[in-house]
Amino acid sequence: MNLSDSKKKLALAGIICGVVAACLAYFGNPANMAFCIACFIRDTAGALGLHSTETVQYARPEILGLVLGAFIISVATKEYRSMAGSSPMVRFVLGMILAIGSLVFLGCPLRMIIRMSAGDLNAWVALIGFILGVGTGVIALKKGFSLGRAHAANRMNGYVLPVLMAGILVLALATTLLKSSESGPGSMHAPILMSLAGGLIFGAVAQKSRMCFAGSIRDVILMRNFDLLTIIGGLFVVMLVFNIATGRFNAAFETPGIIAHSEHLWNILGMYAVGFAAVLAGGCPLRQLILAGQGSSDSAVTVLGMFAGAALAHNFGLAASATAVNAETQEVVAGSVPLYGKAAVIICIVVCFLIAFLNKRNEGK
Amino acid sequence: MRDKELRLIVTFHTTADAMAMEKACREHGIPGRLIPVPRAISAGCGLAWCAPLTERRKLLEVMEEQGIGAEGLHECMVRV
Repeated sequence: MNLSDSKKKLALAGIICGVVAACLAYFGNPANMAFCIACFIRDTAGALGLHSTETVQYARPEILGLVLGAFIISVATKEYRSMAGSSPMVRFVLGMILAIGSLVFLGCPLRMIIRMSAGDLNAWVALIGFILGVGTGVIALKKGFSLGRAHAANRMNGYVLPVLMAGILVLALATTLLKSSESGPGSMHAPILMSLAGGLIFGAVAQKSRMCFAGSIRDVILMRNFDLLTIIGGLFVVMLVFNIATGRFNAAFETPGIIAHSEHLWNILGMYAVGFAAVLAGGCPLRQLILAGQGSSDSAVTVLGMFAGAALAHNFGLAASATAVNAETQEVVAGSVPLYGKAAVIICIVVCFLIAFLNKRNEGK
Repeated sequence: MRDKELRLIVTFHTTADAMAMEKACREHGIPGRLIPVPRAISAGCGLAWCAPLTERRKLLEVMEEQGIGAEGLHECMVRV
């Protein structure tokens, strides 16, 4: 089925993904996290022991399913292409920035949309930063930014990440080697097979529709093209209906229990870094997983960078804390971004500028 | 809704090549515009140059002159 030859079908793709996210939220994923690439990569990194924050360790089947879903559908429809060689180490760094920026905001662009649909005004504030970040990336593109072209590679290269993901899934299903949170967000999850099915469906639909949060805004700014934004619109509407219908919609800033904070400047700057890095890397965190599934080793390296960045964010205390209610006093304790997290975001933005304006089209030819 | 017409679609290895193509075509007065690569051509999410079929020779000349390498030239129905 061609999901991209009309706006209606693109909206349908977004609706399908929205239904998947709503189901996973209903059946146990953390409130308003539902389906977050950065959070789920962070949880999976924790399950592998890459960081030791005990409340966010769980091999999220959704992440494994996204890569495998994109891999299976691209092989089945003969769109699988093993490609590699476009500045892999720069992409690794961009992957780290995607994870760190997301964990300072507390969510990737996908979760930003999901939080927006639940009335979380902090996410609406962060959207400003995300649009500005994508806009800055577009300026870099217009100035001739390029990481160089990818070349066809041995098919085996593209199989590596899907096989690694399948390996993590086997470990999660058949062994007790992986760490698993007993409390906190990592302990909240839908049944494992439902999460896997959700990831596979989401991955396949995202591959066919080319869903990308950064790309949707890039295309509007660059070409006044609203195709990709239509998909996001479909997802947003489904999640909005779900949140209103289940009483989860709450238009406010201080909303304990939904894993968010109200440090507006750092919500903006965190997502600015994510939007900027996503344009430079050629896609948002979700899109990197999908591209990796359909054979891009460059995107696979970006995914590894996200794992490293997520682990770093927790090992070095860069990730923000969420607004919560003190169980004893019942007082609302405001979430915040630690000093090192603020410094990391500034460094991330500076690095984005260096990458954006020191990598030109004619270099490396 | 806009009608679909047959157009010449030039795809590139990098987004920067697509941007260079837009600049070169503007400078040489060649009609056309940047569009997302049509899904029928690729599963990638890059940019392509969309031009009237009659401009093929001029486009090839400009690409040769500017050192812009095309990934492929396609004739494809697109909304105009």
